[in-house]
Amino acid sequence: MSDPLLQMSGIVKAFPGVRALDGVDLEVRAGEVHCLLGQNGAGKSTLIKVLSGAHQPDEGEIRWQGEEIRLTTPLSAMKHGIATIYQELDLVDGLTVAENIYLGHELSSAGFAHRGETQKQAAALLARLGHSEISPRRELGTLSAAGKQVVSMARALSHDVKLIIMDEPSAVLDQEEVARLFKVIRDLQSEGVAVVYISHRLEEIRQVGDRVTVLKDGRTVATGLPARDTPTRELTRLMTGRDIEYVFPPRVSRDGDGTVVLSVENLASGRAFSGVDFEVRAGEIVGLAGLVGSGRSEILETIYGARRATAGTVTVDGKQLRNGRVRAAVGAGVGLCPEERKSQGLLLDEAVYRNVSLATMGRFSRGGFINRGSEKRAASEHVKSLDVRPTGVERAVRTLSGGNQQKVVLARWLLRECRVLLLDEPTRGVDVGARSEIYALVRRLADEGVAVVLVSSEVPEVLGLADRVLVLREGVVVHTGPADDIDEHRVLDLVMEGSAA
Amino acid sequence: MSVRTNRPRRRLLTSMAAVFAAGAFVVGCTSNEPEEEDQPAAAETGGGDDGDGGSGNDEPGETVVIGFSGPEADHGWLAAVNDSAIAEAESYEDVELRTAEGTNDANLQISQIETFINEGVDAIVLLPTDGAQLTEVAIRAMEAGIPVVNVDREFSSPFAARATILGDNHGMGISAGTYACQLIEENGIADPVIAEIAGIDSLPLTQDRSRGFAEALEACGQEVDNRVAAEFTVESGEEQAANLLQAAPQIDIIWNHDDDQGVGVKQAFDNAGRDEFFFIGGAGSANAMQWIQDGEMEATILYPPTQAADGIRLARLIAQNKGMSDLVQVEVPRRIVLNAPVVNADNVEDYLHLGFES
Amino acid sequence: MSDQTPASPPAGATATTPPADEHRRIEAAAAEEGETRSGFVRFMSSPFGRNLGLILALLVLCAVGAFTAGDRFVDTDNMVTILRFASIIGVVSIGMTFVIIGGGIDLSVGAIVALSSVWATTLATQTMAEDTHWLLMVFVACAVGVGCGLVNGILIAYGGMAPFIATLAMFAAARGLAEIISEKRTQLVDVRGLVDTINGEFLGIPVLVWIFAAVSTIGWVLLNRTTFGRRTIAVGGNATAARLAGIAVKRHTVLLYVVLGLACGIAGIMLTARTGTGSGTHGQLYELDAIAAVVIGGTLLTGGRGTIVGTIIGVLIFTTLTNVFTLNNLDSSTQAVAKGAIIVIAVLLQQRVSVRSADSS
Repeated sequence: MSDPLLQMSGIVKAFPGVRALDGVDLEVRAGEVHCLLGQNGAGKSTLIKVLSGAHQPDEGEIRWQGEEIRLTTPLSAMKHGIATIYQELDLVDGLTVAENIYLGHELSSAGFAHRGETQKQAAALLARLGHSEISPRRELGTLSAAGKQVVSMARALSHDVKLIIMDEPSAVLDQEEVARLFKVIRDLQSEGVAVVYISHRLEEIRQVGDRVTVLKDGRTVATGLPARDTPTRELTRLMTGRDIEYVFPPRVSRDGDGTVVLSVENLASGRAFSGVDFEVRAGEIVGLAGLVGSGRSEILETIYGARRATAGTVTVDGKQLRNGRVRAAVGAGVGLCPEERKSQGLLLDEAVYRNVSLATMGRFSRGGFINRGSEKRAASEHVKSLDVRPTGVERAVRTLSGGNQQKVVLARWLLRECRVLLLDEPTRGVDVGARSEIYALVRRLADEGVAVVLVSSEVPEVLGLADRVLVLREGVVVHTGPADDIDEHRVLDLVMEGSAA
Repeated sequence: MSVRTNRPRRRLLTSMAAVFAAGAFVVGCTSNEPEEEDQPAAAETGGGDDGDGGSGNDEPGETVVIGFSGPEADHGWLAAVNDSAIAEAESYEDVELRTAEGTNDANLQISQIETFINEGVDAIVLLPTDGAQLTEVAIRAMEAGIPVVNVDREFSSPFAARATILGDNHGMGISAGTYACQLIEENGIADPVIAEIAGIDSLPLTQDRSRGFAEALEACGQEVDNRVAAEFTVESGEEQAANLLQAAPQIDIIWNHDDDQGVGVKQAFDNAGRDEFFFIGGAGSANAMQWIQDGEMEATILYPPTQAADGIRLARLIAQNKGMSDLVQVEVPRRIVLNAPVVNADNVEDYLHLGFES
Repeated sequence: MSDQTPASPPAGATATTPPADEHRRIEAAAAEEGETRSGFVRFMSSPFGRNLGLILALLVLCAVGAFTAGDRFVDTDNMVTILRFASIIGVVSIGMTFVIIGGGIDLSVGAIVALSSVWATTLATQTMAEDTHWLLMVFVACAVGVGCGLVNGILIAYGGMAPFIATLAMFAAARGLAEIISEKRTQLVDVRGLVDTINGEFLGIPVLVWIFAAVSTIGWVLLNRTTFGRRTIAVGGNATAARLAGIAVKRHTVLLYVVLGLACGIAGIMLTARTGTGSGTHGQLYELDAIAAVVIGGTLLTGGRGTIVGTIIGVLIFTTLTNVFTLNNLDSSTQAVAKGAIIVIAVLLQQRVSVRSADSS
């Protein structure tokens, strides 16, 4: 190939106190899938923002098809043919699918939108993405996260794009949807469109990627690595500076000797799920596997009281919880690390210690007055034992990486000394190095006698971490058994069975 | 309305003397008056002069600082009040006027008076947003030795003002009601429908006007059949008048308290194409006088916007220890109540100069 | 993350991997960050720093006052006048700060002030107060305020109404009720004890100002040192996270409006004493003045962040502005323009400062 499509060299971007990018080089060829790897905080997000025109680099050069360009606004990036599909989707829930696709460049004359034409073209774009089942007339808010992502991609394609940046596209997709996404990527590739693909899942990178660039600490540490052949250990070493041999902590063999802490009987909630029975003993990790929409998150929410049960009971330490009362669950020692960490779990602008003590404030207060000294000491202790970095408990949670934010939520329930911990997608948006730390933490908590329920869309995670596994399909438990007795393929078979052949 | 015949009504019109300084009487005695009142009126420029028009009083004396605070000039009458006060002060070279911005917030107006007290002005002219609400601070000013001239809305304590100058709101209602009775009698209206469009209902002045109107009507065996209350603004006048016309398909007499809101009231009449009634206004704006001259309005009851200007004059005299030269009395009276004459086609020429712009 | 091939040198790749110690690097970065924090960032995020723009605005205003009005402005009596004027709207603004930090808004404060002043001055209340003690009137005003706040809070938290709508309804209803009770008349206070005490002085300083100081202090402690304050920030910052952390979000929301209602009741009795009257026309436009003071004080209208000190300075800016204008014989229209300009400038300054201290990731 002659001139690369995109060439970035020596990109530097500094924020007060932090050099987010400290000399990044990236070269993307037309029609290739270029994977960007790096831990959270390595500079991937900043790099994307520079490339999409949201941030201006302090130093460095961007060449586009051989010419030096300046991307001063998101619009100028769009005009050059660079489209970005964000992790946090930037769509308007109240508009239709078609209106979202053409938002900002509506097909119109004299201010009047051409509704028919817009819908026709939107339908064509959706079909090209293999999702003709999404109606352009549908209101966006009614779509699933995966559906929204498809719309976001259709929106990128509605421009004349040469480069699409995908930031963790598979995070919200299930297996089948990922497969469809990869097909779309290959189609785009064959049309000469390049893709910058960001993911934490190495197996995906192997499947769909051509070349890999690894970022670490705001610098390019390796570029042009062949995606298929570079060994995993080599990649993780590049990303972390150390070899990760064992991702999952070893299980302690126990023969169901712990006392039953959480017991769920015949639980149901509307049409989301029904007839769910299981028990979790002290020290046990029970995993729930299933597709998005199989009811796995809803089960956690119902146990926690954030969603009303229409049948069945939840019992903690022999006491039945009041239906639909979060405070009853928290009072009984149940903690939840929610799926949407940022919007459901954290006060992003508040200090770390305040987030940690959020559920335990009463313990540090007398007559309503908070003893901030003892509060901070206790929070620091847990923050330290969970190895949250950077270490200061006064900094705003917003400034932490995804993995460290997750640890803050975990620390909250550790401080609370909870009996039951419900984990919903505990490693979403968490990089490889930090993941194994979280796994180790969860296991440590279990060893200390906590009953853990784990939900994850990544089957290997459930199988690797949990002692027992429940497989869900369309709101019904289709399999229960020890995690050792089942493998990934069998889980996928169970999950898919009955759905699209 | 234009076809109505207008006969002169001498009985009322004879009672119209000079607009200013009509009935003046002293209220209360001298228990704890500020010091200067006990001193005889200064005679440096011949205060006790028997000459006409008090010309001797207009000659410059020692310079006095007068603080003036009024409500927010949100309609024509109040704007005319403020403007005429400022113009009056400017006409005297021995008056330095401090104006505080107009406000409808009693708390803010109180702090303005407090500022005047801090500054040690020689006299304060105060048109309170609400008489009772400003009484406390006015008493404090008086206690600090600063004479207060109370304009238009009366304080709730006799100790709060050295002099009070008031429009006669109750008298306005009486005049309007008496005039309505006359119209009924002269036109031989049987079982008349009488309507009233009041101003802001929570103000005592509105309540006084309505009370006077009802009392005068009662004297001739009539009563108000329909009553609405607007807010002295054109918009509210239009809205309320339109409601009134809806409610009463046939009306014989309408009294509208205020000519500022009257612009809207008139608009509502025109919109509905209704003119079967006698339309009586209140205050006496330039608009209203024009309508009277054009035969589109029967009459308006005068409520002059010159009270604050008179207040400035009185404050100056008090601060300079002068009396009112037309009176034998050596001191400025405690209380002056203005007359509320009826202005109609017969005498409108005499009052045109008092008409204010809405 | 299943691994398949053993480590081998990557072919055709320019791998430059320093065997850097990740931990040491991050710690170094954190330490560096901590150092900068102790300087500029820490200063800017201190209460003084966050309110720097406001304090500057207030100082500029004072300088203008001293320059244009001289001794008439720089005068103890004048300062007391400003504070006395600020005290009533100040008390309302302190309460409003809590509601806005908690993610709400209250348009009914002026009407609640009016209603509590009227209720505390009815013939029945005053007769009872004559027989017992004038504090009864204070109690009635506070109880009315708390009652209105309770209704607002319950409608919003349990009725699921938008704060804007629920308090808009209270805005209309409370003032209407005040007019019904007072029959649209201004009710005089005959209980001299109330007026003489609350509108009097203590240690040479007006009691109104003492009350403002006390409410401010209690407000500051409540927001910064108690679980109530912490929960307020949590509820306003992220209601979902607060709920999932076991905080009783609905109950807390009710409490926020009750706190504001109480502040309105206190302001109502202050206004009653200052004017010597109770009236349905009291407190007009207080809602907008209070919201303006809170917002230029640096409290986010979306909730989750705000300071009491900022609100106090916000109130002082507006009252000082009014005072300077009065001293200079300037009319109200010019003042309204200046007020608008100050809101815009103060908020723009706030944003610049907060962006600079937050944008470090």
